[in-house]
Amino acid sequence: MVYARTLGSTTYTFQVSGRLWRNSLIMVDRETGTSWSQVTGRAIDGKHRGAQLQKLEAIETTWEQWREAHPSTSLLKKSKEVLSSPYQAYFDDPEKMGLFRAQWLAERMPGKTLVYGASIGPHAVAVTDGALGDEMVAATLGDTPVVLARAGDGGVRAFVTRVGGEEIGLRRNRENGDVEDAGGSVWDLGTGRCTSGPRSGARLESVAVTPVYWFAWSGFYPNTQVIDGSPR
Amino acid sequence: MRSIGISLGITVFVFLAAAHARQPEPEVVATIGGDEVYKLLPVGVVPAIDDPEFVSGRDADRQMRAEEPVLGVVIAGEARAYSLWQLDAHEIVNDEIAGRAVAATW
Repeated sequence: MVYARTLGSTTYTFQVSGRLWRNSLIMVDRETGTSWSQVTGRAIDGKHRGAQLQKLEAIETTWEQWREAHPSTSLLKKSKEVLSSPYQAYFDDPEKMGLFRAQWLAERMPGKTLVYGASIGPHAVAVTDGALGDEMVAATLGDTPVVLARAGDGGVRAFVTRVGGEEIGLRRNRENGDVEDAGGSVWDLGTGRCTSGPRSGARLESVAVTPVYWFAWSGFYPNTQVIDGSPR
Repeated sequence: MRSIGISLGITVFVFLAAAHARQPEPEVVATIGGDEVYKLLPVGVVPAIDDPEFVSGRDADRQMRAEEPVLGVVIAGEARAYSLWQLDAHEIVNDEIAGRAVAATW
């Protein structure tokens, strides 16, 4: 996840607290010691309690795909060679996960299931990696229609599928693979822009997507809608 | 479709496993909203990156494997990537992209 680290005109720097809440990282800012949830960006304790960091659109993909989509990209420099994650054993072990409500969570699906989470206010949806595949999945958050989709750069993004108050109902054209709305406009779900047709130039509002293990997402959004590919 | 093996989509606190080895029973130090806060390590033991440096082009390619997972973000046309293997050891990067202060966290 990527957050704007400013509140008003003040910029904050974050540290790793060493503490977990709802199975995920608590960040603390150096300036006030406020505790912030890594998953939601909300201040959960301390001076800024209740404040919200803005979550920016960011994706998880492979270096190869990112480099191809963004040839001029910069990369955080490595000070030493890193050949794998220090947590590979943790990723590979389906039993190793957080402590919080672990038994209760496991009833819905295995805790280590990778999901793509999106939320608007209290409304949340989790789409499993298996259900999404290379396709797109529609959901409704409160009364807001959204679509989650994997774009050509491998990243999963979400967009509000409403333009000027009108729901646009996206679908995949099976012949050429384009994503089209009911009026025949073509949309790029890597950028949210309409590339051709009557709505050409329009842009869909983006909703931040969080790639996350189920056991962490469900700790924050126990009532989350789940799209896992099984009949609904 | 990519394999989940590549996609280490982890926002969860991945030092959990390491912490378990050192401290078998994490201590509950508070509750917030009725839910426990577990203390695993002191503040800052997992070191956030405060003065990030960058490479691009071939220098970047030399540091990376093709299949290496990254967190990618574009702000005002400026693209930046963070190796997730690297972020796993730091969890947070206090960064600035196109003049905007951001925290990349994993």
